[in-house]
Amino acid sequence: MSSSATTAPDRRAPSRGAEPDPRPAPPGAGSPAPPGKRRRFFLTDGWGALALPIAGYLLVVLIVPLAIVFARSFTDPTLGLGNYAAFFASPIYTDVLVNTFVTAITVTLITLLIGFPYAYLMTIAPPVWRSVLLVVVLVPFWTSLLVRSFALVLLLRDTGAINETLLSLGLISDPITMVRNFTGVLIGMVQVMLPFMVLPLYATMRGIDRRLLQAAEGLGARPAFAFWRVFVPLSAAGVAAGSLLVFIQSLGFYITPALLGGPDDVMLGELIVQQVSTVLNWGFASALAAVLLIVTLVLLAIASRFIDVRRIFWKEQ
Amino acid sequence: MTTTTELAGAPVRVSGVTKQYRDARALDQVDLDIESGEFITLLGSSGSGKSTLLNIIAGFTDCDAGVVEVDGIDITKTPPHKRGLGMVFQHYALFPHMTVFDNVAFPLRRRRTPKAEMVRLVEEALDIVQLGHLGKRMPQQLSGGQQQRVALARAIVFRPKVLLMDEPLGALDKRLREQLQLEIKRLHRELGITFVFVTHDQEEALAMSDRIALLRDGRIVQIGTPEELYEQPAERYTAEFLGESNLFSGTIVNGVLPYGEHGSIQVRDGSADGAGSVMVRPEHVSVLRPDEQVPVGCNALRGTVREVIYLGSGRRAEVTLPDGTHVVARTPADRRHSRLVPGEPVVVTWAKQHGQVVADGPPADEAAIPAGRAAVPA
Repeated sequence: MSSSATTAPDRRAPSRGAEPDPRPAPPGAGSPAPPGKRRRFFLTDGWGALALPIAGYLLVVLIVPLAIVFARSFTDPTLGLGNYAAFFASPIYTDVLVNTFVTAITVTLITLLIGFPYAYLMTIAPPVWRSVLLVVVLVPFWTSLLVRSFALVLLLRDTGAINETLLSLGLISDPITMVRNFTGVLIGMVQVMLPFMVLPLYATMRGIDRRLLQAAEGLGARPAFAFWRVFVPLSAAGVAAGSLLVFIQSLGFYITPALLGGPDDVMLGELIVQQVSTVLNWGFASALAAVLLIVTLVLLAIASRFIDVRRIFWKEQ
Repeated sequence: MTTTTELAGAPVRVSGVTKQYRDARALDQVDLDIESGEFITLLGSSGSGKSTLLNIIAGFTDCDAGVVEVDGIDITKTPPHKRGLGMVFQHYALFPHMTVFDNVAFPLRRRRTPKAEMVRLVEEALDIVQLGHLGKRMPQQLSGGQQQRVALARAIVFRPKVLLMDEPLGALDKRLREQLQLEIKRLHRELGITFVFVTHDQEEALAMSDRIALLRDGRIVQIGTPEELYEQPAERYTAEFLGESNLFSGTIVNGVLPYGEHGSIQVRDGSADGAGSVMVRPEHVSVLRPDEQVPVGCNALRGTVREVIYLGSGRRAEVTLPDGTHVVARTPADRRHSRLVPGEPVVVTWAKQHGQVVADGPPADEAAIPAGRAAVPA
């Protein structure tokens, strides 16, 4: 994953820096400390113990359960690939998989389209308004997901506030169906996901030196040209970070699509819950979970060929 | 390499430019005529309005009143990207996501220059700043001096008639700064375009400029060649801002400034009478022992040695006069000062033609001073 940027010769990595240089790099430039030396030091000086609680916690609540899920997908009810064969044999299930990804991609694109201008507005707004905009983004974080989803149902349904208002104003003659379908799922998920898009975008944009735009205009670029050639490329790291966060979380969504979606909008998360709690087919549910996880990892690996994933999650700027 | 004839400069005319910020007047009716191909420096301390003036010429700041003309065309209302001026910033402002080559090519891409022509121009510009081999690097892989050279190449690649530079060397260390000063001078000679250079460093201004415009509180105090500003400052402020100076204030009558009970100071013939100061540069002052003969035509004031400092290229002696005034004398290649000891009685002398009369100028209490910033007596 890490060396992938160099293997895509014709694609310019949208993330800043990390550009492979065919020339020999100047000594010390970009070359990290020898990893072996650093690791030995880190583990022997005792500070590594600070990571033990969380490592132990994750082992018990994440690694072990995941291992059990994987094992179960091959053993329950009988040993073999039966669960996976069942999954790929039925178009019903593969449709759910496709629908899950289509939904996640659509949600990601919509949040990006809404979130980018919003984050940009935050960077240029005066401090007071910036705080207001930030609070507006954060409010969803402080409210229960379940409450918000139910509230949306009340708001969006045929006899909800929006349709009632539009009907009474005479703008529409029949209610617009906004729940129990794909539109409802999108409205609900985008609303939940916006903070995960806006916050990384804002963090990146805030770090962009706005004098670069001035410089570009001073060199003859129209403001729009300067924006597209300077500001947008420099915000690419934020776009990638926000998009990955939203996309990956969207893949596993359950409550919102369950409440706002219709029978055609089942996502993999719902299917898993159904298999576990209604059908009690734990082995098949495990296989579904494994498929979701593996496909997600594969997509991440593909994404890392084009963007520096390490930078998004842990590499310091 | 570029020849001078290819690239001619353009005159820049600023007339009546005024800029008022909420609590301070940044520029007050500034007039400035810059000749084609001239290297002019806008010199001043922070808050003098020099950067505001440059930004108004560049188009980044609107002026409240006045006109900016380049090449005889009024560009006061023209947005910056249509002014066609080159610009170099103190912080380089290189685009971090582009290679050096792409940075330099940026102004050309905007202008839709054909590819082959573009490559040629970029390589030529990089050669001019001696970075021809670094086109594929990213800006952050370069040193500060190299980055500023890239910024220079980017600013000249599209052959502007005027190059604006806002403290371009401010972020560099002294040695690099001096080296780049020479390179910018060479660039100016080779390109033949008009350079407008902003700095707060008087040495830099003296070293580089054809003419210097000294700004103070939003006004041009004096404009002239470096020699004129240094040797014939019109105002006390100019004398104090550029280099070191000894100033004696009082009222001049018949070419003589009475100076306490210690005598009088004769000034250059033909100087106007009236209130003012007499300025003498330290390099024109000699320090004599009381028994030594004062040369004819020289002023002489008695005092005691306060301190003598060895500077390498010479010595700097500070003499305290009986009224408490300190007079500084700077002597190159003269061993006399080395034998001076603090407390020793001496006589400071200078030829009367080196006494320059300067007006006291407006005290720093004009409306241009932001509220709350007290006027500091000179």
